[in-house]
Amino acid sequence: MAFPHMTARLWWILWKDLVSECRSRRAWPAMLLLGIVVAFTFAGQMDLPPDEQKRVAGGLVWLAIFLAGMLALERSFASERENGCWQGLRLCPVSSHAIYLAKLAVNVVALAALEGVLIPLFVVLSGVPLLAHPAAMLLVAALGNVALAAAGTLLGALAAGSRNTAHLLPLLLLPMAVPAVLAAAEATRLAMDGQFGTPWWQWTELLAAFAVLFTTIGIMLFDFVIEE
Amino acid sequence: MHARSGSLRRRCQSIGNAAVVAMVLVALAAAFLVAPTERTMGDAQRIVYLHVAVAWVGLAGALLMAAAGAAYLVRRNLRWDHWAQAAAELGWLGATLTLVTGSLWAHAAWNVWWTWDPRLTTALILWALYAGCLLLRGGVDDPHRRARLGAVLAIAGAADLPLVVMATRWFRGIHPAAPAMEPSMRAVLLASVLGFSALFALLLVMRRHQLELQRLVEELTESEKEMPC
Repeated sequence: MAFPHMTARLWWILWKDLVSECRSRRAWPAMLLLGIVVAFTFAGQMDLPPDEQKRVAGGLVWLAIFLAGMLALERSFASERENGCWQGLRLCPVSSHAIYLAKLAVNVVALAALEGVLIPLFVVLSGVPLLAHPAAMLLVAALGNVALAAAGTLLGALAAGSRNTAHLLPLLLLPMAVPAVLAAAEATRLAMDGQFGTPWWQWTELLAAFAVLFTTIGIMLFDFVIEE
Repeated sequence: MHARSGSLRRRCQSIGNAAVVAMVLVALAAAFLVAPTERTMGDAQRIVYLHVAVAWVGLAGALLMAAAGAAYLVRRNLRWDHWAQAAAELGWLGATLTLVTGSLWAHAAWNVWWTWDPRLTTALILWALYAGCLLLRGGVDDPHRRARLGAVLAIAGAADLPLVVMATRWFRGIHPAAPAMEPSMRAVLLASVLGFSALFALLLVMRRHQLELQRLVEELTESEKEMPC
């Protein structure tokens, strides 16, 4: 398929999913609400000296993003399985790569929206300087989003093919995404302190490697997942 | 002629099974009777002979599961999926035993049952990956669909493992990394790894054969239902 055609078709699916979510409001409000509740809960436990707060804040922020983001990741394929939408999508003249990349893009947008709420909320509630170096935080957040969305989209599609759809995704994604969550948390912690030496680059590179690896695996194997 | 070759095959199988059981018993006996008692930890150190062997089996299961999954995706033959299923079950058993024996050793050495050391974390993640694979497989009825989804998850898990090892290693760890050993201790460890690898291979072949028979029975039952009365 020619690249411009694939990009156009990718955009159609992305647009369809965004419009569908705006109209039905099935996943994103629940995701944001869960994120806010988790942020309040974690911030309540961060009554620590400033140094200790900085040490744990990165991990807690990314754990909150992971837990709340799971709702959007789980819905991205479960919603297609309802009312025969999946058959309709499969009948469209769209390659499986375009479907995977479009779903990945929708999940990246969902996670970015979640971070747009959660990161400022953590700053307000606990006073940790998460936005002290916005460019570095933006880079870590962007890579973290692609990493979690790439793994989550592939595993979400796998879980949607099973009877235990709702319970399976967290069980599959949590162990698989450990390197991404760990790298994002450590890179966030170092960025807060303004330490942009070798360790920060090491963690950022690991995050990028995870994102590239899972996007590649997703593109290569997605066809096998959606085969009927 | 056919009956005689079948009987010869069964006899060879029995001899092979007995040899594997003997290898494991010899390895266990050597761990308790031949290996010298370690100076600092005493008898608790003998757990290492079992721990290293089952940890190796746990890792080998993951690699085999991914390789068999990839072979299924290429060949579309359910025999490969039976290898993957058998490797998943035995690998999960190996990973569980690794965590249990590791915990027992950790309590004796560090006075804690668990600590977030990189290797312990990696072992736990491997265990969770196996559990996820088995849960996913358990939730799909159609054999070919189960094989496809299981293969994709196994390949993704195997590709993820080096990153898991790297990420967890960058934290400070307290797990001993291949400590220096007496030659007799090293020989016992090698015997144990060989013995348990042979046991793993034997159980793998037996379980795969059982899954094959199970599929044949299911196919026969289905065809019987479809036959007109």
